[in-house]
Amino acid sequence: MWDNFIWFSAASMLLWILGVASLYMNKKSSLTGNILISAGLVIFLIFILLLWGDLKHPPLRTMGETRLWYSFFITLVGFVTWLRWRYKWLAGYSVLVSGVFIMVNLLKPEIHFTNLMPALQSIWFVPHVTVYILSYAMFGAATIASFIAIRELKNKSERLMPLIDNLIYIGLGFLMTGMLLGAIWAKEAWGDYWTWDPKEVWAFITAAVYVVYIHARAQKYPLRIILWILPLAFIMLMITWLGVNYLPAAQGSIHVY
Amino acid sequence: MADKGKREQKIAIEAVIVAAITVAGVALQVLTGGFNREILAFPANLILVTAIPVLLILFKGAAKHLASGSLSVILISVVTIIALYMGLVPGNSAKSSWPFVLIYLALLINLTASVLMRLRTFKIRKDISFMLNHIGLLILLFSAGPGSADKARYFMRVFEGKVEWRAEKSGSKESAEAVELPVAISLEDFEMDEYPPKLAIIERNTGIALPEKRPIYFEAILNAASTIERWNLVIDSVLYKPGFAPAAFVRVTDKYSDVPTEGWVSCGNYFQHFKTLSLDSTYCVAMTFPEPKEYRSKVEVYTQSGKVKNGVVRVNHPMTIGGWKIYQHSYDSARGRDSVWSLFELVYDPWIIPAYIGMIMMIFGAITLFWKGGKS
Ligand code: HEM
Repeated sequence: MWDNFIWFSAASMLLWILGVASLYMNKKSSLTGNILISAGLVIFLIFILLLWGDLKHPPLRTMGETRLWYSFFITLVGFVTWLRWRYKWLAGYSVLVSGVFIMVNLLKPEIHFTNLMPALQSIWFVPHVTVYILSYAMFGAATIASFIAIRELKNKSERLMPLIDNLIYIGLGFLMTGMLLGAIWAKEAWGDYWTWDPKEVWAFITAAVYVVYIHARAQKYPLRIILWILPLAFIMLMITWLGVNYLPAAQGSIHVY
Repeated sequence: MADKGKREQKIAIEAVIVAAITVAGVALQVLTGGFNREILAFPANLILVTAIPVLLILFKGAAKHLASGSLSVILISVVTIIALYMGLVPGNSAKSSWPFVLIYLALLINLTASVLMRLRTFKIRKDISFMLNHIGLLILLFSAGPGSADKARYFMRVFEGKVEWRAEKSGSKESAEAVELPVAISLEDFEMDEYPPKLAIIERNTGIALPEKRPIYFEAILNAASTIERWNLVIDSVLYKPGFAPAAFVRVTDKYSDVPTEGWVSCGNYFQHFKTLSLDSTYCVAMTFPEPKEYRSKVEVYTQSGKVKNGVVRVNHPMTIGGWKIYQHSYDSARGRDSVWSLFELVYDPWIIPAYIGMIMMIFGAITLFWKGGKS
């Protein structure tokens, strides 16, 4: 079945790219774009289901199989967010990330023989990581917007605030979901849902700074203070994502795979 | 603008109070050397969890002040700063320190008060997002904080064919003494699936695998073949039986000399020596140890109250019996799949159900954030 992956993924990728292109080109109606993207999702899902039938167990055991779900879910969630919030760039971005995972699967399949350690062989792994990646996309965009908004404050313009608040709420929605799924997984795998493991400490810090932003906004604190929270939060996010393993306090973390 | 001045004054007062709480925490920390979580053990935690909302309902005037949104911002910020300390200073014990515990308590009071005030004007459409997020968080914080004082974790080592009641407390520093638990485990069988071991060509003295920049390790399965630099390797036979070290019969042809070399290669195990196949005076074929893919224990579990449960415990799939969860922790790693014992972790957490309820409410709360966006 894996031999056919290239055909299915090429078809899905093509439909997704055409779909996103159509969204950008066709200003009046997004119907064609939506149909194309949905068709790509259906084809991708069909491949997963066929593989499932072929393997006789859900394709969740190897790294390659896990990446299939990433590719699928990232595009799906990007698409749903587009339908709800009309962010074209997010639909495009999610297709791009999905394409990267598809390429990795084609070039370095790791289908039969990846040594996925037992603790990672969990149904929580994929949703936990996928949802996190999406929140990072939202927060990344919000951070860029916050720099522009800080500059525009001089002209008393608050044009970008609805967009920024929106991205932060959506991003925090994903981030909290990722964190909670991680907690439920940790309980199943290690016996405790929260142990203040270094990665958990930094994930907590990141979420907490965004929570401070939301509450400070609700309190209507001055924007010239509040807006600086966002770059700060993004630094925390980067430390959580990439930096934790290098911190001296993190030696012996369960997350250092 | 009088309003604005008043608000700033209120924030200043709140900041001073929070600072005072933190300083008091530091003083207590210096005096007592740390917070002992056991003083919150049942029934103290249950009393606390009931007392906070009851007192806030009785003293409405105070509750109004304690529900302040600006106080929330200050408290969440202080918790974040303490978390930064946790994340940056190696080997700290901030999570069981007095400042953290007192701020956590203040946060619980502030959050309970906010929820109670909001409940008085509750409208489903307007407030559902707030309620899911904040009541969920409140339940979770009560369970994870004061509730955790009732949590207990033990390690139990069980040999195949034996029954065990005794376990050692995990996480305690003093040399752990075995205690009898109200649950017993009978280990029928410990099993392990492994990934196939891998073959590589290594430099005998340094152990560096070839090609030096991107070493090739290929799986030792029947008929597998690989070309590494100037050698072609084919596996003609594999031996992979319980109790014996994995071994592969490898045929190697040198591209230049065409003289085949062949022989058994094995990674060895706890009683058999490893075996390599020499190619020349510098290089040989060697086998890596197989890595575990999955391990599991077939068990029968009994409780003092007479419950019996049969099943399999494996990583990510604990077994639940009477308030206890039993986790596959580890095994005799020197023996790998031939381990004759299995190490279980047993966790007792009577507050896990409310914790899950809180988490599930918060997941729905997160979905409302996603759906509602920044329009409040
Ligand atoms: C201990 C922690 C928390 C406390 C004490 C707290 C307290 C409050 C209070 C008092 C409000 C009323 C709004 C205002 O400021 O006027 C509020 C609003 C809100 N809180 Fe929290 N909160 C906490 C944690 C959280 C968390 C973890 C989340 C998100 C996951 C969250 C999301 C929100 C949202 C979305 C609002 C509505 C803001 C708006 O009106 O737009 N809060 N919170």
